[in-house]
Amino acid sequence: MPDSSRGRPPRAGRNPGALACGLLLLGLIVAAAPVAADSRSEYDEAASTILCDCGCHPQSVADCTCGRAAEMRSEIQGLVAGGMTGDAVIASYVERYGDKIRIAPTAKGFNLLAWLGPLGALVIGAVGVAWLARRLSRAGGASAEPPAPPATPPADEAYLARLRQEVEERL
Amino acid sequence: MIQDLYITLGHYGLFLALAAAAWSVVGSLLGSVARGRGLQYSAERALLVAGAMIGLGTICLVYGFLSDDFRLDYVYHYSSSSQALPYKVGALWGGQAGSLLLWVLILAVMGAVMVATNRRKNRALMPHATAVVGAVMTFFLLLLNFIEPVFATSALRADGVGLNPQLKNYWMMIHPPCLYLGYVAFTIPFAFAIAALCTRRTGDIWFRTTRRWTIFAWFFLGTGILLGSYWAYIELGWGGYWAWDPVENASLMPWLTGTAFLHSVMIQEKRGMLKIWNVLLIILTFSLSIFGTFLTRSGIISSVHAFATSDIVLPFGIFLALVFFGSLALLVARLEHLRSEGRFESVLSRESSFLFNNLVLVGIAATVLFLTTFPMLSELATGRKVTMGPPIFNMVNVPWALCLLLLTGVGPLIAWRRASRKNLQRSFLVPGLVGLWVLIAFLLFGLRGYLDSLGEIGRAVASADVARALGSVKGFYPALTFALGGFVLATVWTEYWNGTRVRVRNHGEPATLALGRLVWRNKRRYGGYIVHVGVVVIFFGIAGSAAYQTEYTETLRPGGHLMVASYVMRYEGYHLAAEDDHIAAATEVSLFDRTRGTSLGRLVTEQRFHPRLEVEPLRDAFLRAKSLGEQGSPAYGEAVASLYPLMQQLEAQVGREVKTPSTEVGIRAFLSPLDGPRMGEDFYVIPLWVDPATGEASFRVFINPMVNFIWLGGLIAIFGAHVCVLPDSRERKRLAAAMEVEERAVA
Repeated sequence: MPDSSRGRPPRAGRNPGALACGLLLLGLIVAAAPVAADSRSEYDEAASTILCDCGCHPQSVADCTCGRAAEMRSEIQGLVAGGMTGDAVIASYVERYGDKIRIAPTAKGFNLLAWLGPLGALVIGAVGVAWLARRLSRAGGASAEPPAPPATPPADEAYLARLRQEVEERL
Repeated sequence: MIQDLYITLGHYGLFLALAAAAWSVVGSLLGSVARGRGLQYSAERALLVAGAMIGLGTICLVYGFLSDDFRLDYVYHYSSSSQALPYKVGALWGGQAGSLLLWVLILAVMGAVMVATNRRKNRALMPHATAVVGAVMTFFLLLLNFIEPVFATSALRADGVGLNPQLKNYWMMIHPPCLYLGYVAFTIPFAFAIAALCTRRTGDIWFRTTRRWTIFAWFFLGTGILLGSYWAYIELGWGGYWAWDPVENASLMPWLTGTAFLHSVMIQEKRGMLKIWNVLLIILTFSLSIFGTFLTRSGIISSVHAFATSDIVLPFGIFLALVFFGSLALLVARLEHLRSEGRFESVLSRESSFLFNNLVLVGIAATVLFLTTFPMLSELATGRKVTMGPPIFNMVNVPWALCLLLLTGVGPLIAWRRASRKNLQRSFLVPGLVGLWVLIAFLLFGLRGYLDSLGEIGRAVASADVARALGSVKGFYPALTFALGGFVLATVWTEYWNGTRVRVRNHGEPATLALGRLVWRNKRRYGGYIVHVGVVVIFFGIAGSAAYQTEYTETLRPGGHLMVASYVMRYEGYHLAAEDDHIAAATEVSLFDRTRGTSLGRLVTEQRFHPRLEVEPLRDAFLRAKSLGEQGSPAYGEAVASLYPLMQQLEAQVGREVKTPSTEVGIRAFLSPLDGPRMGEDFYVIPLWVDPATGEASFRVFINPMVNFIWLGGLIAIFGAHVCVLPDSRERKRLAAAMEVEERAVA
């Protein structure tokens, strides 16, 4: 059997050198990227993390338009003006009202299931479906080539109707 | 006389409806066992009788609203004498009992249409289908008769509480019925699926014969969701249209599984495969519809939509469990009749791309369900309550949505059965290049930002900060969305282009005629592509408005101005008013182009308070101010201004509920292509508060680029759906042929 790869440039995906170069480049980009200054103010951080407790649908204090949100906004503004950082404001609210005062759970512990579970399911699902399709198609391929194919496949009414349909469709 | 009669009439009407619906179940089941045609026709007529009685009950309740009969508890809670006429009618679905009545009324109409259109066909499936529709109707009528009696009365009251002010909106008048049309219509395909399982006629008939019902349901559910988003956008005043509220989620889930069903039945039609999966999908879709109805009105999860907590939780739970697990059990019992006729021939085929499409659609539905119920899971597992707000939903769902967008383009390009390498190269070359160029253009345009995001992702991953990593990936989503969208649009263009070209070449038709005939002869396929274009445009709208939104808040006095993005807004003035059921501070603003200084129009936006009319001093003062206004009295302004300190004073005594605030948003939409880069953009402004004495107001401004693409995409999708359901003689022939085959197979 002739070596089909001879004389051809090696394919990028199989070339460890190219892969390493790519990774190195990526690493350099990541390392070289300047640390983005946090553009959000301490107030923004707190107000967009803390849930408005008006009982309407879940909205952060920054987004909610109810009267209660206005009160909470000035409350948070007061705390920030008093020298608290955004994180400290959030921590004080969590201490008072519990974790549910955050607009979204922290990505730690059990909550990681909510953050990463669906994405994991996407990956596992995609792999699963690909595997399933491959397996089914292998089974189909095997049955498509029976050892001694009959001269005329057995025709049944349903099959013929479907065939007629498809022919009609193509016309 | 009629005043006393109609309540009795409505009350017993619903009771008779229950009896008739119950008979339709018993009669059709007996008919199917004894094979008695007479019994079966009797059962079908019972369904019509139940429908007529439900109609009578509804008319009686509407009469109660129109005649301001506050003896009726339901009218008392959701209407008031000052409520405008359309809202008196709309109050019918303002609360739980009325919503249930509307649900069962729609089901009655659909049941009647089902009976009327199947007088001479589908006779084998009809007994069980009738029984299923009758059973669903019986359940809702049981609720309406015994648990949530809609005609309950109490002693005469002077006036009613009135509808929640935020629901008094034109879109709120059509959004719930539209959504309900969608929820309810899924009952019919479900009923036929169950009938097919019961009778072991598991061929194509059940879904071919209900194809229109499925598209109808899918269409109205989708339209209802869009209308709800539009309502939220123009009414709630937070600048967005989707808050991942549990009730919104509940309507999205059946729509997603319904969409999966619409796609996956195509595989069964063409290849006789995925039979189990299709039945499973319709069971899931119908169960989620019931779940959605249940969530809307049960108050089990607190949300803006759930206005009452009630006793229907347990019965609904039992019914839902019966529907879901009962159907599953039936499905398992019939597995041997659901064997695939065809087989997969290759991984690279339309069939497998549809498998992925189903994975993603059902996956999104599952993700939404999982995140919506996560607070309960968390409480069970760790004892801690958490809140699932919009940020986590957005971050977790976007990767799924991008996969969906990709598949929207890939599906139509891959051949059935087995796609050759050549076939793939030929179909993917142009669309792939289009997508790639859009991506490159985006990346080059904002290179710095993308490098920053990349760095941020690296650091977040290094410090194992999941939330931050997902947050940083966000920077890439618009570019990916537009690139994938470009790819999909190019695939649709290629399909239309190639199809037309073939017709021009083979039939010598002029291009426009060829295009028309191409679509006319393959309405489902080309209509479906139009829906795909609509979906892409919606994605563009979501990506644009989410990624490039500008928000700004500033306090102004009349005459002052603020500058934001490319706009200058001047605060012209304000006036106070007492109208209908509210006190309004209406502020008027003018809008100018920041660089050219040209006028872009005037907007009026209001901060409203709806006084609670049971609080007597407030009610008297409000009505006095209102009547002064109607007389055109000069003391009107002062009378309205005096309401504000009064509300403040009463608030301290009675509590916050003396007034309900709401806003009327001011929106300047740029819809014309002549608006250049502003096309599709909204300038959106609301006053957060207005000082009634000086007019000083705090304005919150949103610039929402491309947001109008969402509504435009909705319209395109609606148009495409219409093309799909236009009468099709070939489709009819195919259905007739399939029916003939099945009849012979059974005989």
